[in-house]
Amino acid sequence: MVAFRKVFIVTHHPKTVMASGYIVNRGVLTFGIHYQHVSRNVLLTHTREKKRWMKAYTLLMERKLKIEGPPPPKPRAQKPNWDYHAEVQAFSSRLKESFSPELLKTAFVNPCYIQSEQERRQALGVDSEMAALVLGDNIQLHRQGLVFTKSFLSDWCRASFPSLPSMGVVAIVAHLTSHPVVCLVAQNLAIEDLTMSAQFPVPDEVLHSTFLAVIGALHESSGAERAGFFLRDFLVTQLVGKDLFEMWSVVNPMGLLVEELSKRNRALPEPRLTRSAGAGTVLPLYFVGLYSDKKLLAEAPGETVLAAEEEAARVALRKLYGYTENRRPCDFSAAAQPQAPGLQSFSSS
Amino acid sequence: MSSFTKSAQQWATFARSWYLIDARMQPPGKIATMCAIRLQGKHKPIYHALSDVGDHVVVMNSRHIAFSGNKWEQKMYSSHTQYPGGFKQVTATQLHSKDPKAIVKLAVYGMLPRNLSRRTMMQRLHLFPEDDLPEDILLNLTEELPQPREIPRRLNEYSQEEREAFPTLWTPLPQTFK
Repeated sequence: MVAFRKVFIVTHHPKTVMASGYIVNRGVLTFGIHYQHVSRNVLLTHTREKKRWMKAYTLLMERKLKIEGPPPPKPRAQKPNWDYHAEVQAFSSRLKESFSPELLKTAFVNPCYIQSEQERRQALGVDSEMAALVLGDNIQLHRQGLVFTKSFLSDWCRASFPSLPSMGVVAIVAHLTSHPVVCLVAQNLAIEDLTMSAQFPVPDEVLHSTFLAVIGALHESSGAERAGFFLRDFLVTQLVGKDLFEMWSVVNPMGLLVEELSKRNRALPEPRLTRSAGAGTVLPLYFVGLYSDKKLLAEAPGETVLAAEEEAARVALRKLYGYTENRRPCDFSAAAQPQAPGLQSFSSS
Repeated sequence: MSSFTKSAQQWATFARSWYLIDARMQPPGKIATMCAIRLQGKHKPIYHALSDVGDHVVVMNSRHIAFSGNKWEQKMYSSHTQYPGGFKQVTATQLHSKDPKAIVKLAVYGMLPRNLSRRTMMQRLHLFPEDDLPEDILLNLTEELPQPREIPRRLNEYSQEEREAFPTLWTPLPQTFK
């Protein structure tokens, strides 16, 4: 028999207890978890008595959790308080965009979902003529969205960084439309909850195409300008804190720098050791400066002289392309000029 | 700083520098404060006592330090051999003649925090009595720090023009005056 200590409850007027005590576990009143680790002598909660079964139950559940591991994730649609139509409307009003409801609902429907639904209905024996699955695909919207996104992002890049070459623009656009970035944005905008797909958790590929389909739907509903603003506010902002050469892998920065300088008719860069520390130790530091016609282009540190020289070439390229950390930030004000695809005459923001 | 790659920026931030101080005609206390600050890493914005961010300091010409006042005769350095009757007191002059690095070393030791990191920091202090430094130390040096005290010039170090341009209290009598 488990010995338990008798808890003597000092009878206080409830109002005074209210003033002095506090609720230890907020689950006490909702779930009736009366077991508390804080105080065994003074009852700090406002329930009747300590439940004898609570401790055993909690320990059993914890043991079960340890053996079986955490429960598998459930889609939001299978959790309580879900109304699809209301959620879709809330989606469009939360983002302050006016989507047309049919287009938006079509954008969330993936071909894998339609296929699985057909198979499920056939397996259940439902006649396909009696209850036809009237759901459109999002492939068309996805294609439109992809084309629009790529063109908008390229135009935005060229406008913000006029001296950036095409390879750099392509690399930035490829990074922004890559699976990790798009899926991160989609998950945080609740597109993952609204997606209709065969598998859960939604695969990256499916989520990516759903996001682009939503962009396509927005483009159809509100026009290119609003869709452009949406992309600028949600996708372009993922560039914050990102370095140019994290997105664009350049193997030979010195060669590229020589090309750029010769295009601008400037003298070729000469590397010079500016400062060094601990050159004879196992952890040396060298600062190498690149001089073009005796004027400093860029200076950068490195573990070895060669590494510092390569780093200096990268810094010089960043300065030439205007992608430094201290550049003027992008203009997100409401009065900014709209960015329609095809317009190249845009002063760099 | 200005848009380095993240790894390069981190390497440069946490690298250990090597500072050179010339102690000729300088008060050892002022030299010692400069050393102590840099050995602890307090000159860096990333300082933390547990982070071991101190730099190396090389002090040269420690034989030519200059105490102010009568400290060469009056300042006493004490030691005890732990044996009875082993208490010894020497003046600064005597200690300096025995070991020209000892005064600066003791001054820096007394200015560092009294914890286990002190010994590590003292290992990063390199003292040389004259200005002939070994090659491996010379390779490592980053920067020479300015001297704390401005060395006054002797009369024979002033040029004739400067001596004549110096203001006089009275005009000296001409030689031919009787």
